Amino acid sequence: MVSNGDLVDQPQWAGVDKEFLAAPVKSAVDKFQLLPEFLKVRGLVKQHLDSFNYFVNTEIKKIVAANNEIRSQVDPKLYLRYKDVRIGEPSRMVDYVTEKLTPQKCRISDITYAAPILVNIEYTTGSGNSLKVQEKRELTIGRMPIMLRSSCCALYGKDEEELASLGECPLDPGGYFVIKGTEKVILIQEQLSKNRIIIDTDKKGCVQASVTSSTAATKSKTVIRMEKEKIYLYLNQFKTKVPIMAVMKAMGMESDQEVVQMVGRDPRYSALLLPSIEECAKANVYTQHQALEYLEKQVKPLPYASTRTEKRASSILRDIFIANVPVHDNNFRAKCIYVAVMLRRMMEAILNKDAMDDKDYVGNKRLELSGQLLSLLFEDLFKTMNDESKKLIDTVLGKPNRSSLFDMSKYIVRDSITVGLERTLSTGNWDVKRFRMHRKGMTQVVARLSYIGTVGHMTKISPQFEKSRKVSGPRALQPSQWGMLCPCDTPEGEACGLVKNLALMTHVTTDDEEGPIISLCYCLGVEDLELLSGEELHMPNSYLIMLNGLILGKHRKPQRFATAMRKLRRAGKIGEFVSIFVNEKQHCVYIASDGGRVCRPLVIADKGVSRIKEHHMKELKDGVRTFDTFLREGLIEYLDVNEENNALIALYEGEATEETTHIEIEPFTILGVCAGLIPYPHHNQSPRNTYQCAMGKQAMGNIAYNQLCRMDTLLYLLVYPQRPLLTTRTIELVGYDKLGAGQNATVAVMSYSGYDIEDAIVMNKSSLDRGFGRCIVMKKMVALSQKYENGASDRIICPPREGYEAERMQILDDDGIAAPGEIIRTHDIYINKQSPTVTRGAPAPNLPDSKYKPSRQTYKGPEGETAVLDRVALCTDRNNNMNIKFMVRHTRRPEVGDKFSSRHGQKGVCGTIIQQEDFPFSERGICPDLIMNPHGFPSRMTVGKMIELLGSKAGVSSGRFHYGSAFGEPSGHADKVEVISETLVKHGFSYNGKDFIYSGITGLPLQAYIFMGPIYYQKLKHMVLDKMHARGSGPRVMLTRQPTEGRSKNGGLRVGEMERDCLIAYGASMLIYERLMISSDPFEVKVCRKCGLLGYHNYKLKADVCSTCKNGDNISTMKLPYACKLLIQSLSDEAHAFSGGL
Amino acid sequence: MSNQRFPTVKIRELKNDYCKFELRDTDASIANALRRVMIAEVPTVAIDLVEIEVNSSVLNDEFIAHRLGLIPLTSERAMSMRFSRDCDACDGDGQCDYCSVEFHLRAKCIGDQTLDVTSRELISSDATVVPVDSADSGYDNLENRGIIIVKLRRGQELRLRAIARKGIGKDHAKWSPAATVTFMYEPDIYINEDMMEKLSLEKKLEIIESSPTKVFGIDENTGRFIVVDPEAYTYDDEVLKKCEALDMPGLIEIRPKEDTFIFTVESTGAIKASQLVLNAIDILKQKLDVVRLSEDTVEADDQFGELGAHMRGG
Repeated sequence: MVSNGDLVDQPQWAGVDKEFLAAPVKSAVDKFQLLPEFLKVRGLVKQHLDSFNYFVNTEIKKIVAANNEIRSQVDPKLYLRYKDVRIGEPSRMVDYVTEKLTPQKCRISDITYAAPILVNIEYTTGSGNSLKVQEKRELTIGRMPIMLRSSCCALYGKDEEELASLGECPLDPGGYFVIKGTEKVILIQEQLSKNRIIIDTDKKGCVQASVTSSTAATKSKTVIRMEKEKIYLYLNQFKTKVPIMAVMKAMGMESDQEVVQMVGRDPRYSALLLPSIEECAKANVYTQHQALEYLEKQVKPLPYASTRTEKRASSILRDIFIANVPVHDNNFRAKCIYVAVMLRRMMEAILNKDAMDDKDYVGNKRLELSGQLLSLLFEDLFKTMNDESKKLIDTVLGKPNRSSLFDMSKYIVRDSITVGLERTLSTGNWDVKRFRMHRKGMTQVVARLSYIGTVGHMTKISPQFEKSRKVSGPRALQPSQWGMLCPCDTPEGEACGLVKNLALMTHVTTDDEEGPIISLCYCLGVEDLELLSGEELHMPNSYLIMLNGLILGKHRKPQRFATAMRKLRRAGKIGEFVSIFVNEKQHCVYIASDGGRVCRPLVIADKGVSRIKEHHMKELKDGVRTFDTFLREGLIEYLDVNEENNALIALYEGEATEETTHIEIEPFTILGVCAGLIPYPHHNQSPRNTYQCAMGKQAMGNIAYNQLCRMDTLLYLLVYPQRPLLTTRTIELVGYDKLGAGQNATVAVMSYSGYDIEDAIVMNKSSLDRGFGRCIVMKKMVALSQKYENGASDRIICPPREGYEAERMQILDDDGIAAPGEIIRTHDIYINKQSPTVTRGAPAPNLPDSKYKPSRQTYKGPEGETAVLDRVALCTDRNNNMNIKFMVRHTRRPEVGDKFSSRHGQKGVCGTIIQQEDFPFSERGICPDLIMNPHGFPSRMTVGKMIELLGSKAGVSSGRFHYGSAFGEPSGHADKVEVISETLVKHGFSYNGKDFIYSGITGLPLQAYIFMGPIYYQKLKHMVLDKMHARGSGPRVMLTRQPTEGRSKNGGLRVGEMERDCLIAYGASMLIYERLMISSDPFEVKVCRKCGLLGYHNYKLKADVCSTCKNGDNISTMKLPYACKLLIQSLSDEAHAFSGGL
Repeated sequence: MSNQRFPTVKIRELKNDYCKFELRDTDASIANALRRVMIAEVPTVAIDLVEIEVNSSVLNDEFIAHRLGLIPLTSERAMSMRFSRDCDACDGDGQCDYCSVEFHLRAKCIGDQTLDVTSRELISSDATVVPVDSADSGYDNLENRGIIIVKLRRGQELRLRAIARKGIGKDHAKWSPAATVTFMYEPDIYINEDMMEKLSLEKKLEIIESSPTKVFGIDENTGRFIVVDPEAYTYDDEVLKKCEALDMPGLIEIRPKEDTFIFTVESTGAIKASQLVLNAIDILKQKLDVVRLSEDTVEADDQFGELGAHMRGG
């Protein structure tokens, strides 16, 4: 922003460099081809796969290495040591035979797609002095669920044909697990970054510096807060806040002067520090010993008071207080400097509010992926397993006389890991006590409503805050989100802005080795912290070098250091995802190699000239180059959000100036997968794009190539799905053109029939006859043939062919199971199952027929509609029960009330269906498929939809798919309206897309020209047939005798409080009486006029009696709601006599 | 009583499935009635009942049934056939020759190549009702494969029996014999020659260019501004707007002739386009025949004149 005042009295264009404007536009290299190449190597869900691969190949080895020993407490010479660990092939044991698993097999037969965790162990056998060390290889300690398409998966590296033979869809992105037959995805979790200093304010407005430390050993949160001018440390292990100076002294910083020097010699800083120093002195804390003693008093007592608790203060400071800074040999200097830096940043923030950190800034966030989450879980389970094994071994060893030879490897508990992993993944509840982690809803069932829904689900990021928080900050669009997170794709309502989605090119990093980077830094002239005095630390012109939140030292020429590091990265000497960020404000160079950072590829430019030249792209086209060669040769690099701040990124090559360091690959990659489907989204009002992102996931179409081999609980398919006439590059990249979810409908924008108000659309009956909007709905039904504990089991028997109920069993085969291809109506029986009456107790192998009771299952579908039994699958589940799955198929044509939507957030229901001859027609004979009311446009401002219509119209007339990628006009990925208009004119249409139309009813020309052309319409899953509901009389609730609630129970429609109030206000007393009693739960009671209590009718005496008055003299009969009678009786039971005022 | 008009038809172009004709001396209601009848009420024969014996293809039964229904069948006989709902010979279950035609389809893929099951494989029980063969249409269709119903892979099989019945487009679009039926008013183009002469050649070309369709041109010999093809005009008003922009309103005036219609009829192939028009006229006549004066209209008898006699069935 230009904010200097001397521009005020100059004309506006004075600041514009005329020479620059006049300069010829540099020819732009078409870099688009990089994108398909990028997605080819990366896939759509690389972040998940990378994370899981890292866990499986690296992290798991680290975890096992860190906990590699089980040593008996009884006999310390006996031990078991893990030498190596690896994940095998996905397989399972069936009757002691290993059977390889494929994901499709697991989906169909409800088992978990998992691979054995194999370890090599070394352990001692024997006892006493005759110890022998033995080795065992490839011992299974549990089974790890495998992410589809990860390096362990059976699908890894397979081509399209091989995938097809495994029953897998080649377009399926993978990145999820199959747990007990259901597909589960671990959502990306958004977190505040660990091990970084965050300066912000607490609720009261006090400035604080907080660090969430997370190391392999411990996790802790350290807060240093300024309260009433004094600075305190807040740590869970202390009872109260602790003066920070006391902490410094306890860590050996006895001299106040040194502390001040470390913080910085600026007098303002010392002034801010003074009250704290004074407070410390007041408390009589001067030496390290005094400080430690002072802190000892503040330490929270342990819950189970152990005998000696001295020296705890020191160990807290060493192990828990900013745990990410390691302490070697009780040398606290690094920690002191870290505290000093925290203090310094706090004071900066106090003096200058701009220095405050923004928690919503994407650079301060980390995305936790499945690999990290699984590693936490695995670590916990592995440790638990080792503990259990140890206990078991000790108890066995504790026994005085053992018969067999002691073999430690037999005592490894195998089930806990398998069960733990499976349970956690299927429930989504991460309860890791060891790390104090209790999170719910981490996994979700993969959305299989549409292909886009599936892909979109994989890129979904679940928020760190609860949704109830009423703050706007985290929900707002962050500028730093650019290119990393999709600005459009977020749900409406409570999770708005909290749940985000990744953009198309975003990559999420995994952890990278720190060691080599540290030594490299020292080689490049970083001065070690140990060698620096406090005074030297914050010398002007020298920058602190931080690696993953750890202070490495300082450097006198930060810019040169950063350039050198970047050069090394581009040369491939350090990881491509390591980021180097020079923070001028904080005088720091931040190097990050930790996992969970979001980054994206950019083209490197030297002085504004792109490194990618025409010949590079040609080589790419010829197949000589891949995306990775571009990376390796330093033409492209990944920047994370922080490093982007050091870069000047030009949108297009032509816009690059001298200072430009990077050039975007393609601007439309700032959008995600879902928003990428929208043509011309940059011409739409932004909320419309957001709406479409939500609706695209509900659109029916094809979900996968293997859709008919899958057994989804609910499957919506379109009979004739089409590829949009107006496509975008993203559509082609993600494969939406192969698995579309919509049809190109010729739309006339006009008013017709009056059944089109409020966004309703009028549909052409002939179009529907020909298959427009026709869909197939498939539902799964499951029947289980159980085995019981007494050996009895369910049986499925041949149905009776005549007599009572035979009619309902017509579709059954002789095996008692409905036959595929049969037409099934509601109330039809689809399995003739019988269950034994006795299922417990003594074994009962051969039961007579009389011991079985029928437990048939009936099909419940819409009344009057017929469905077809599509498939029947039989499989054995985990408990060896036979599982019978039925798929029922129902083909539906659109009807009034079905929901449709274009790709611009313009949803509407079908208002009426009209004969083709009544529809308007053009003199070419074109007749629209549907009519949309023009009132949909002015308030929605979806100009993109109008351009889509124009483009599609030009597309059909010229026979070429037109493009409408976001921001695509300058780079040629979106056709310009002028060009489209020219095409239209060339084919004899008006340039503005309007046609001269005749009324189909009268044959007269319409008064206005009608905007008409094809628009891609989606049929949404909300259909009238699934929702319509009416009831005359029907079931009632047993307790209150009132009608049931809800459509599924054929319930009544409630006259609620507000409706009742209306009727009262209107004075329609008889109507209220009817609705609330006669039509609900009328009941006749006997009431005693004298005592006012309920009496009863004695059928023996044939007289009414009041049980309180012991006579029947004053009994009256009255009507009241049964619920009221129930209340009266419940109250009188509670000894509150209720008497009516009669 | 001389408002009576005598509509005339002039056929411009006639092919098997295409017909273009002028309808003169009538008004929009008649023209539109004709159009509507052609779309919705000229009967054809189309597959209506499908009994599937074996279907192991990728498409499900309803899917295939729907596709079969939309295959046009030659329906010259349709006018004389009975609707199965008022067929006396059968209960409408397609067992009689008066109202229905049976089809059989048997296909199994045994080779490694994908087998296209097309409409040509539908075997009809009646030689006059067969799937429309696009080879007859005159278009150069080298492969001449018929309409694809389903594609089969090795081992997949389709076996079915289908019954075609007579029906009209109003009930389902599959019975509509018309692919396109449309008409337009003939434009009446008037060029003010006096004003036109004052224009330069560039201006004239500009006017010609302004029309998205080729309506106007320059006579090569005389260099005069002429109407090349009045029917190319799509009532887009572009030329008129151009004239206004040139500050010469009234230079060209275009009005639709409200009593002349140019019809374009394209048939699906079920019946010939010419037959479609004739059948439509027949049906219109039949509809009018139904309209009769009620028996008790006596006193106003003579005021209807000849019409009265007609309406009484005279």
